[in-house]
Amino acid sequence: MSAQAATAQRTRPIQRLALHSTVTCSAQATVYGKCILATYTDVKKDICKEEFAAFKDCIQKAMKKR
Amino acid sequence: MSVQRLLHKLRSTQRRSFAAISTNSPPQPVNYVSPYQIFDRNAKRLQKDRAAIRDAGARNRTVDYIREEVAERMMERFMDIKRKFDTVVDLGSGPGHFSKLLETDKVKKSIMIDSSGRLLNRDPDSEFEGKLGFEVERIVGDEENLLTIIDRNSQEAVLSCLSLHWVNDLPGILVQIQEALQPDGLFLAAMFGGETLFELRTSLQLAEIEREGGISPHVSPMTDTRDISNLLGRAGFTLLTVDTDDVKIAYPSMWELMEDLQDMGEANAVIGRRNLIQRDTLSAASAIYKELHGESNSIPATFQIIYMIGWKPAPSQPKPLDRGTGKMNLKDVL
Repeated sequence: MSAQAATAQRTRPIQRLALHSTVTCSAQATVYGKCILATYTDVKKDICKEEFAAFKDCIQKAMKKR
Repeated sequence: MSVQRLLHKLRSTQRRSFAAISTNSPPQPVNYVSPYQIFDRNAKRLQKDRAAIRDAGARNRTVDYIREEVAERMMERFMDIKRKFDTVVDLGSGPGHFSKLLETDKVKKSIMIDSSGRLLNRDPDSEFEGKLGFEVERIVGDEENLLTIIDRNSQEAVLSCLSLHWVNDLPGILVQIQEALQPDGLFLAAMFGGETLFELRTSLQLAEIEREGGISPHVSPMTDTRDISNLLGRAGFTLLTVDTDDVKIAYPSMWELMEDLQDMGEANAVIGRRNLIQRDTLSAASAIYKELHGESNSIPATFQIIYMIGWKPAPSQPKPLDRGTGKMNLKDVL
């Protein structure tokens, strides 16, 4: 338990989010980024909703794993 | 079971640390903000104090790279001025990135002024370049009220390295500096301006629009290069020199950039900022930053530095001749 707690303290949630959003889910991030890039002069809310949903799904799955 | 619950509790008590500081700030009046109130100076002081003590200052020292680089470039400009000074004022000195480079044969004493006492006293006197006979005085005081700290017409030179970008009333502080100088006194400063962190600004804006449907301030408004010479002129400086320089730094991703900014004590302190950024918005911004500005394995962050030199007028200074006093016809020359 103590080992687990120590790991949890060493890598703060924000650091894990950083890792997963750039490394673990880089493919989905690129798809989302490309979608924004295609429309960045006229971005509206939820214009890349599906691409982000896939990206978020991947991050959430990765965050659940320890 | 209990282990899981404990872990869950642990997780829920951990705070996301990119949230901007809002504690202890004096409450901002909702309907009234004076024309020159852009930054929350109290939050800024707290951010700097905290940055200076995080990991006993180790984190803060690691991110000295920008300030050290700019201090050296500013020193080049200072060395071009062929004059010796007994005392200079280092306004918004931090731990003294610029003062550390001063040599005793040019400057004998540096008065360092900073609003964050912890940052000001981070490094011992022994780390200053001109160790022997070089005097350092440290004053904790608000950079915005310079004239309450030093007397009018008292200083030979006022220098400022990367501090003026957090000053609310830039025209006002320039007037105060001019007042504090002796006639023919020197003002030399470097400040962040113009395009600084435009990549981060645009990425966060795009992410906020797409995810949440609106934007909020995350990166400070910066002074434009063109405005600086006007402001210096308006404050009564003469013989102006203004130039700009870009420092471009590569980071692995947006997250390292934001962490470093926080360790520098340069996190967001704009009045009316949101106290946290949603996770979704952050991940979205990271993806956009990479795609919009990124290079193969890194992302660039631009820091635009404006260097300015101005002098307090004095009768001994060279002046342009009056109109119509020219004796030679230009036609003969050209």
